[in-house]
Amino acid sequence: MTENTNKSMARPGRRRYVGEAVLRREDEELLQGRGGFLPDLAAPNAAEICIVRSTEPHAVVRAIRKERALASPGVIAVLAADDLDFVDDVLPCVDMIPGTLDVRQRVIARERVRYVGQPMALVVATNRYLAEDAAALIEIVYESLPPVTDHMAAMNPGAPLLYPELGTNIVYQVRQLDGNPDFAPSDGDLVIRKRFEFHRQTAVPLETRGVTAKLIDNGERLHVESCTQLPQVLRSVLAGAFGIGLDKVRVTAPRLGGGFGAKEMVYPEEILVPAVARKLQRPVRWLEDRREHFASTTHAREETVDAEAVVAKDGAFVGLRLTGWANIGAAYGFVGNTPITAMGAMVRGPYRVPNLDAQMFSVVTNKTPLNVLRGAGAPQAALVMERLLDEAARTLGIDRAEIRRRNLIRPDELPLDRGRTGFANSHHIIYDEGDYPRCLEAGLRLAEYENFESDRIAAAARGKLRGIGIAMYVEITAVGPYETARIALLPDGTILLYSSIMPVGQGSETTQRQLVAEELGVAMEQVAIRQGDTDEVPDAVGTFASRGAAVGGAAARMAARELVKTILHGFAEVPDCDPSALRWEGGGVVILGPTEEFIPLSEIPARLASLRGDPEPRRIEARHRIEIPRPSYSYATHIAVVEIDPETGALKIPRYTVAHDCGRIVNPLLVEGQIVGGVVQGIGAVLRENLVYDANGRLQTRALMDYVLPGASDCPTDFKLWHMETPTSFNPFGMRGVGEGGTIGAHAAMANAVADTLRDYDVAVDGSGPFTPTWIMEALSKPPRGTSSEKG
Amino acid sequence: MTAFDPTPQKTVWDDSNESQTALSVTVNGKQVRTLVADRLLLSDFLRDDLGLTALKVACGEGACGACTIVIDGEPARSCTLLAVQTEGAEILTLEGLNAPQGLNPVQQIFQQHHALQCGYCTPGWLMTAYSMIKRSIHPDSTEVSQYLSGHICRCTGYRNIWTAVRRALGAANDGPVSGQE
Repeated sequence: MTENTNKSMARPGRRRYVGEAVLRREDEELLQGRGGFLPDLAAPNAAEICIVRSTEPHAVVRAIRKERALASPGVIAVLAADDLDFVDDVLPCVDMIPGTLDVRQRVIARERVRYVGQPMALVVATNRYLAEDAAALIEIVYESLPPVTDHMAAMNPGAPLLYPELGTNIVYQVRQLDGNPDFAPSDGDLVIRKRFEFHRQTAVPLETRGVTAKLIDNGERLHVESCTQLPQVLRSVLAGAFGIGLDKVRVTAPRLGGGFGAKEMVYPEEILVPAVARKLQRPVRWLEDRREHFASTTHAREETVDAEAVVAKDGAFVGLRLTGWANIGAAYGFVGNTPITAMGAMVRGPYRVPNLDAQMFSVVTNKTPLNVLRGAGAPQAALVMERLLDEAARTLGIDRAEIRRRNLIRPDELPLDRGRTGFANSHHIIYDEGDYPRCLEAGLRLAEYENFESDRIAAAARGKLRGIGIAMYVEITAVGPYETARIALLPDGTILLYSSIMPVGQGSETTQRQLVAEELGVAMEQVAIRQGDTDEVPDAVGTFASRGAAVGGAAARMAARELVKTILHGFAEVPDCDPSALRWEGGGVVILGPTEEFIPLSEIPARLASLRGDPEPRRIEARHRIEIPRPSYSYATHIAVVEIDPETGALKIPRYTVAHDCGRIVNPLLVEGQIVGGVVQGIGAVLRENLVYDANGRLQTRALMDYVLPGASDCPTDFKLWHMETPTSFNPFGMRGVGEGGTIGAHAAMANAVADTLRDYDVAVDGSGPFTPTWIMEALSKPPRGTSSEKG
Repeated sequence: MTAFDPTPQKTVWDDSNESQTALSVTVNGKQVRTLVADRLLLSDFLRDDLGLTALKVACGEGACGACTIVIDGEPARSCTLLAVQTEGAEILTLEGLNAPQGLNPVQQIFQQHHALQCGYCTPGWLMTAYSMIKRSIHPDSTEVSQYLSGHICRCTGYRNIWTAVRRALGAANDGPVSGQE
């Protein structure tokens, strides 16, 4: 750094932000209860909407009788499909590869309903109580059709067809091949065949969904506010739905009370509520209640996978042959084919497994549409691989850590091309840099794996069963194809970042500002952020796939770099200025020369104005669009220790260990928060949560009293986390994503830990459970397996 | 403390012949007198009529704790009570605990320990933490888990909430979770 000779203003010492555990600025408003979530926002004069939903899983609609509802007090309108006009009433699905049949959802049921919860009509009233009163008076005449809820049954000849014109319930297929797909066992090879079942779950963000809509700018534009992870996508869909210009639609999204994929969707209500506002020419609002949320917000995870693994005697996996079927419900979600695609694409995780033949299908049934949930299909994929590894270890008498060592891809094999796939945002899987063996050893060391058997014996002496489960995964993160950001130096000398990333709880309001402050060399307090307004950021991809910090943050940081260029260019245009004497340093402009001068950020607009002879300081703006041709791949080792009380079936997690590598860490405090929170979501998924349909296709789990989420006592007692930090060359700042990994690893680690804890009982742990106390008590009533050969 | 207008914005009932009852209640130290519909939920009364939106309605059946407030010194679920049931009561919401500026000490502890992510459940936890402090719950007592079991948080995995609540009750800091190469 050049010695500063300027008297007027000293350059501040360079403050680092990337890698610092900066406390979150958004916490102040949230802790004061001023978070400004959609239900908290004033909606002046808005009428309230209650949506009437199908009570039938599969039926032809003969009539919708609205008369009694219309006469109910406070009712403004009752609207069904025939009362609403759409140029395009089809909701988007982005992962329909060639050959995919079109089962995209329509915004409102017309002649046929395909799941319980499908929107049928809207009641508009002066308040929600009166709207609900009237909704109960609507009579819908159905002609019932036989439902099919089981995806395996839906493929049988003669099964009820959801879309008779297609002639099949199988609507999507993708095949992933690598190495020699015709691999066969050699003499002495072990062949393991297993069917894995994954049960249906849903994300349950604590904030349900909601939409407000009104006409603005003298009625010329539509303003829609929605709880969405995809405001820019929603804007395009709205413009298409009503056949109006993109500039006639403004979508805003406030802070979200959790998303987890549930809000990575364009929902029927996000089109219906604005349609009502247009029809009635008045502001309207719909707030989802928890009961309708269970039937109307997308579900996740449900699939069946048949696996055949060929394993050499030394434990090396020769090949994997998979056939999988996702139960995607009645229509496509926004990325409804992604979870089953991930099974084939990501099943091998960090393991070499040179030969792969994976064929995956999506099957429609009379259930709520399926979409992504934290980890998309990766939790299922990791569970399949990790259960197969433990099964191979047990059969071959190899230690479970050792069999993993023998199969891990070495650092010198990376980057590694793992073949083509059908992902919407990445057609080719190419692993970036990493050190998977070191990650395994770090996890084993932290978990004190080598000493575990004494732990098991000590627990047994107390009458408890203890087991340990290891799992690793490689996760596709930070997907492209691109992201945008816009940044301004305001006349008052502060920075305003317009980020394309939504605040969903992950701390983007802090990390995005950290990245910009780091790039500019200014204090974070000088950087403000705005998010979730399509008038400010019209073009963006969205907040999902662990891409917020890594991709959105990279776009923000690059925009800040552009801003520096624009500022320096501004000074260079001043007459008598030597452009080669200008430099950005220490958060301001340095003008080199005999009397070197430093102009801090806060003085730049005023200084430029005076140099140019402008009457007022001007706003200086820059933007950047970053192309991300290749996603990057985070990885981790999870080790769970489980203790079961055989008297009650109660399960505790005394110790949980994660060693992970998400590349360059922006904020370790928030990374830890993402991982611990993700792990507990994964624990809840395999121990408690379960969406249950009855035999007639009706959803039974409709409330938090039915759908049991993990609680405070489910958090592992002793949680240890180890950060590795290998920057990826696939991202300009070395960052990978970290939002979903905790959940991915927890499914597989918990399943392996449960299997190990119950290793003396003849019980199969072939899937996601859930391993409830009832399930555990049934397992304990099974005959003992005899002396186990499995080594801790 | 955040000011609010004790003159309620009444929920619009129009000519619905809705049965209504006079209600007199103290909210965050202010007297509120109004007519409310008999079936109006306390959570809706506080949020919609009084504009006290810190409490959140997330399940509507008392299962998640996001709507927790304090009534006559006791933590209570506002989503499963009717407004008319609070006649004569003293109600405290998070707005009544806020510092005039910045964060109160318990809120500061929550921030320092990253005990919130999306923040939707946070007002409920803070009301329960307030009740625990008022009752001098010992940070190592088994009662702590009983209190915490009344709330759902979907983001944090609870670990940092445990730490923050125990710290607020006077416990020493736990060791760090994370290490780095």
